[in-house]
Amino acid sequence: MSVFSRPATEGDVILGARPETVYEPSTVDEAGEVVRESALGGKTLAFVGGGTDLDLGAAPGRIDAVVRTGRLARVVEHAPSDQIVVAQAGLTLGELQRTLASHRQRLALDPPLPERKTVGGIIAANVFGPRRARFGSVRDLIIGISFVRADGTLARGGGKVVKNVAGFDLPKLMVGSLGTLGLITTATFRLHPLPEEEVTLHLPGRTGAGLRSLVRGIKEAQLEPTSVVAAWREADRFDVAVRFEGFQAGVAEQRERLAGLVRGEAGGACEILDEPAAQAFWSRHDELRTTALLRAKLTALPGHVERIAGDILPGLLAALSNPGFLWYATLGLGFLAGSPADTDSAARAILTARERVAGLGGTLTLQAAPSAIRERVDVWGPPPPALALMQSVKERLDPQARLAPGRFVGGI
Amino acid sequence: MSASPSPATASNDAVARMAAAVGARYCISDPSEMRTYECDGLMSFRVMPGIVVLPGSTEEVARVVRIARELDLPIVPRGAGTGLSGGALPVPGCVVIGLSRMKKILEVDLENGWMRVQPGVANLDVSKAIGSAGYYYAPDPSSQSVCTIGGNVAENSGGAHCLKYGFTSNHVLGARLVLADGSVVDLGGPVLDTPGYDLLGVLVGSEGMIGIVTEVVLRLLRKPQATRTFFATFPSTDEAGNAVSAIISSGIVPAAIEMMDRLAITAAKAATGVDWPDVGAALLMDADGPEAEVENTADNAVELARAAGAIEIRRPRDEAERALMWKGRKSAFAAVGRISPNYFVQDGVIPRSKIAKVLREIEEMGNRAGLRIANVFHAGDGNLHPLVLYDANVPGQEQAAEEIGGEILRMCIREGGSITGEHGVGADKAVYMGEMFSEGDLETMSLVRCAFDPETRLNPGKVFPTPRLCGDRPGPHRPHATEFSGEAWRE
Repeated sequence: MSVFSRPATEGDVILGARPETVYEPSTVDEAGEVVRESALGGKTLAFVGGGTDLDLGAAPGRIDAVVRTGRLARVVEHAPSDQIVVAQAGLTLGELQRTLASHRQRLALDPPLPERKTVGGIIAANVFGPRRARFGSVRDLIIGISFVRADGTLARGGGKVVKNVAGFDLPKLMVGSLGTLGLITTATFRLHPLPEEEVTLHLPGRTGAGLRSLVRGIKEAQLEPTSVVAAWREADRFDVAVRFEGFQAGVAEQRERLAGLVRGEAGGACEILDEPAAQAFWSRHDELRTTALLRAKLTALPGHVERIAGDILPGLLAALSNPGFLWYATLGLGFLAGSPADTDSAARAILTARERVAGLGGTLTLQAAPSAIRERVDVWGPPPPALALMQSVKERLDPQARLAPGRFVGGI
Repeated sequence: MSASPSPATASNDAVARMAAAVGARYCISDPSEMRTYECDGLMSFRVMPGIVVLPGSTEEVARVVRIARELDLPIVPRGAGTGLSGGALPVPGCVVIGLSRMKKILEVDLENGWMRVQPGVANLDVSKAIGSAGYYYAPDPSSQSVCTIGGNVAENSGGAHCLKYGFTSNHVLGARLVLADGSVVDLGGPVLDTPGYDLLGVLVGSEGMIGIVTEVVLRLLRKPQATRTFFATFPSTDEAGNAVSAIISSGIVPAAIEMMDRLAITAAKAATGVDWPDVGAALLMDADGPEAEVENTADNAVELARAAGAIEIRRPRDEAERALMWKGRKSAFAAVGRISPNYFVQDGVIPRSKIAKVLREIEEMGNRAGLRIANVFHAGDGNLHPLVLYDANVPGQEQAAEEIGGEILRMCIREGGSITGEHGVGADKAVYMGEMFSEGDLETMSLVRCAFDPETRLNPGKVFPTPRLCGDRPGPHRPHATEFSGEAWRE
């Protein structure tokens, strides 16, 4: 093979799995060649973009080689008037956004660490940020994908136009598949205009009940924030940030109406954050979602927030040092962060919380955890009802289970 | 479609077993009564099914599927039958499973924005059920008063307002699915981000080929605070196309922006009595959202339309006037029947920046063939709906119209677009799939289908250009699809 390769180092270990070789293809054809050759040699593979989400999932069984996408980092096509972009998998989100910003556009995805996260990684790990409240997640923005199947076949689904129902939706299948179905090489996204104005309002010290009524109030008033994030502060108290974006007139009006809404409540407080203060809130948010040793994602319904705050959070937070929790209030998605003070009690707290969240119809998955916790807690939790179908999809696309074996849900 | 070996009506055994499963009155095997089920909205394709079964519950659907499997009969699921691509076209001897009896709304949760429905609920009835509370269901296909949610899921239906709000796939949170082996599985649900592969994403738009949906969880949206609509006329589609580009390039995200050309305007006037002038092209645009935002957006869009050469701009004075404007637009398809004995509807997508150029090419195609072509379409997302007018009594015209339809699809592919934006591939466009996708792409899609339905029993003959079998699954031996007899229905 003519593809650039090197022996793996300590930095290439994925959840304890130690590869021998690292490949860095610089064209899609080279990427195909690496995967094809590995298939012939029966080698297991893992795919790495920016490496920010390697803690996701269970420890893979064995990884012979890693394919890094860093040299596949081109914007293949940006058609500003069609509001689409085609980008290679290894391009960082930060770089992509800069290209788009020169035409006053953006990909409306705002996960933390944009300078490290890559297009391929964003899709494979299905990452998102607070703006999901308005723009949806990767599945709502991706319109086309190219990937290399386990046997080296190049496959493409979707296209370059937003409206397209030709063929099965392969782009969505790849979202969140953690490199277990193929090596993503190129993706196409729909774009949004950059807003003329953005403002963040801060509503400090709300209780779980106060959060719930806030979300109801926002809906009732037909406000359309792009983010509503509650950060746990202490006991049953959350500081909430609400962000509006759009044309000046609309942003100003929505800001005033929200402020009016909150002032109408007993003890309701609302301040408009200046730019540095808003930055500080959102940076703190990003930090909570990325740095802690133990991180978990909780899902429930927005209206469950009181139950989360009252029955589920206290036990979790008590089992962690430096605990933090973020709640995407209109979506019903939460992010826990901290360091396990004591392995056993942390593991017990997680399992209890998982059971209670399941009682609400939700899930708790670990996004990062020390190995001692992983030994006691399955990162994915109980398998989803459709596990057999998922296994069947995996068997069809990767019959020898050579792509990140064991990393995905239910041992896939 | 290929020949069937015999006019395969169901055996007495099959009829008896199906009748036992769902009740005799919901089991149709008389050929004259099965006429309705010979085709969907694409009436030029007709195939008599073997039997039509109308189950009333998930359990009954599962029972019917298990019986079909035991008798080795192909299955064709069917909603309201309004599809325009032959997605519900029977294959000889098949069991048509009609979901029309399953039309209950099962659960509504406005606080968390979702509703659980059976597949036979009509699209518009979802919004009607929650309209007074200030909520709605966003996807709005033109057939929404009749087409059903199950069919919408199968086809990933769109509509005028999906420019801003997305398609069915963006508004389906969960589904209960009867698989080809008769087992029942739940995908997703009201809570977001179920761990695992996004099989729900695969389901929506899979044209009835991976399972039969018996319950759907829909996302409900709060109605926007305000909607502003305007209607603008232009000398030709060139200026109208430029106006669309200018509006969208300015950062405005319209809720909908629709274009009609001269012929479509004439037809809409004849059918609905809207008082529209005779002009080369017209745009109908909706902006919605918070009041101040919308006011600003609509004003800016109007200015941009003027700058692009609009002759006249009309803004409705009230909701009644607005409704009339939309009625004109939505009836334009059927209205074409007023100015031509027959017409052929195409559905293709191009990058919106190429609208003006592509419309000129379409006009030339019509001129060369001596046929008129009306255009009424979703300009904001480049989703064309050319209506090729012809007279079936004039020899050669029908064929010429169909040929133009094919030429238009090839042009869509050449311009970087798609062969279907919302009608689906179905039986109609399967032959073009090989022009839009490579063999590797199609094989991959086929592998996904096989993961759900290894015997390719569900809705055979759709989407894929050539018959495909699944081959052995790895692992323990299971009967191979080719080991079954009666392959004729696979084209």
